[in-house]
Amino acid sequence: MVFNAGQPNAVAAFQDITFSLAPRETLAIIGPSGCGKSTLFNVIAGLLEPTVGEVHVGGQRVSDATGHVGYMLQKDLLLPWRTVLDNVVLGLEIRGAPIAEARETALRLISAYGLEGFERARPGMLSGGMRQRVALMRTLATDPDVILLDEPFSALDFQTRILLQADVKRIIAERGKSAILVTHDIGEALTIADRVLVLSRRPGRVRSVHTIDLDRSDPDPIRFRRDPRFQDYFELLWAELEVRSETR
Amino acid sequence: MVGSRRTSGTPRLLGTWQLLLLQCAVVAGIFIVWELAVRFGLAKVYVYGQPSGILVRGQALLESGEWWRHTRLTAIEALSGFVIGSVLGSAGGLALWIVPNVARVLRPIIVAINGVPKIALAPLIIVWFGIGIEAKIAIAAILSFIVSLIATYAGTAEVDQDLIRLMRSLGASRLQTWRKVVIPATLPWMVSALRLNVGFSLIGAVVGEYISAKEGLGYLVYYSGVLYDLNSVWVGIFSLMALALLLDLVVSRIERKARWS
Repeated sequence: MVFNAGQPNAVAAFQDITFSLAPRETLAIIGPSGCGKSTLFNVIAGLLEPTVGEVHVGGQRVSDATGHVGYMLQKDLLLPWRTVLDNVVLGLEIRGAPIAEARETALRLISAYGLEGFERARPGMLSGGMRQRVALMRTLATDPDVILLDEPFSALDFQTRILLQADVKRIIAERGKSAILVTHDIGEALTIADRVLVLSRRPGRVRSVHTIDLDRSDPDPIRFRRDPRFQDYFELLWAELEVRSETR
Repeated sequence: MVGSRRTSGTPRLLGTWQLLLLQCAVVAGIFIVWELAVRFGLAKVYVYGQPSGILVRGQALLESGEWWRHTRLTAIEALSGFVIGSVLGSAGGLALWIVPNVARVLRPIIVAINGVPKIALAPLIIVWFGIGIEAKIAIAAILSFIVSLIATYAGTAEVDQDLIRLMRSLGASRLQTWRKVVIPATLPWMVSALRLNVGFSLIGAVVGEYISAKEGLGYLVYYSGVLYDLNSVWVGIFSLMALALLLDLVVSRIERKARWS
């Protein structure tokens, strides 16, 4: 992916990144800042057309935002003038689904994932964690094949982040979705992903891929992090990221 | 000392009633000084008018039905211009979002029209629309239209681009994005334009009446001024203030309804 291709100020965001995602698999993409993570994210989401290469979902090429892919960003992007229910319904509404059916789907999601009683609340009345939950439900409502997560927890406070990471992992698994998480947070990648792909510095290339084999049966996110294998993976990935204490 | 103490930097604010009382006192004070100044010959009545004279004049105009005739006409002109201009301007500003190339073509023209003192257009409008009520409505409408158009279009440009990308990722067409995101997100800008248009539509109506009219508050003010009947001028000015306050009150109601956050 090259920005301003053919011009003197062209910037290559990343090169030669090839990977595939199995159904129900969660892949995390981590890398140092400026390695083109977010650009890669936008290409996968169909929001940016890559200069070279293609993205396929279910054998179909993603050329524009096709709705195969749902995403969640650091910003929850809830519409402040809509209630929680109407925000969750948004994607279905756009597809022209019958409104009663769409509301039914949304209400089921809302009650399944802990926001019962807030259907009529405006996003402004909710905490950051709750708002991200609503954003996730909005993503799930349209039943996309792949869910893209671009640092969706980074604006949250520590406790909320840890709990929500575990929740999102569980929800994605329950729904049988594939997901790609873009993050710079190693702990987050290990909590959520089955596989971690490490990118190098700009222009980002695949440095290594690790399959994460951790026991996820324990719902407690803190106990999960105490697993010695979690620590091993953490150190491994930390070393690969070549985190230097640079002072710019 | 128990409890919180105000830091020296924050002034103690007056309560609602205290505030209202003081505001009345300030106005009453001005009127009393004014009245006394005229009575003791410090100010000429044909230059400044006189509060007691204004009251007498106001009562006479009220009883003859003249006041109502003038006020009603100006109110109709301003309100019609306000509604027509605001609605068309807001609609135009929103429509420009759908066709960004049209917006880019029109941009310098809009800026140029906005830069012209719109009052300078008034003679043209009198020629096109005649000297009747239509011309005054047209002037008020044009002033409101420009304000609404520019404010609304600026508002559409301020819509969070990530929201628009989200809509795209959900498969929304440009029209759907417009309806579901751009319009509601721009609502606060449209409403703040309404606020400004209260003043602009009254200016439009009164200026139209200055140029040529046989009735209306602008006519009353202008011709009384020519005749050095300052008391009638003041009756007209106070009536215009009352109209402005009334329109503003209506807009405030709309504003409260339109608030979504």
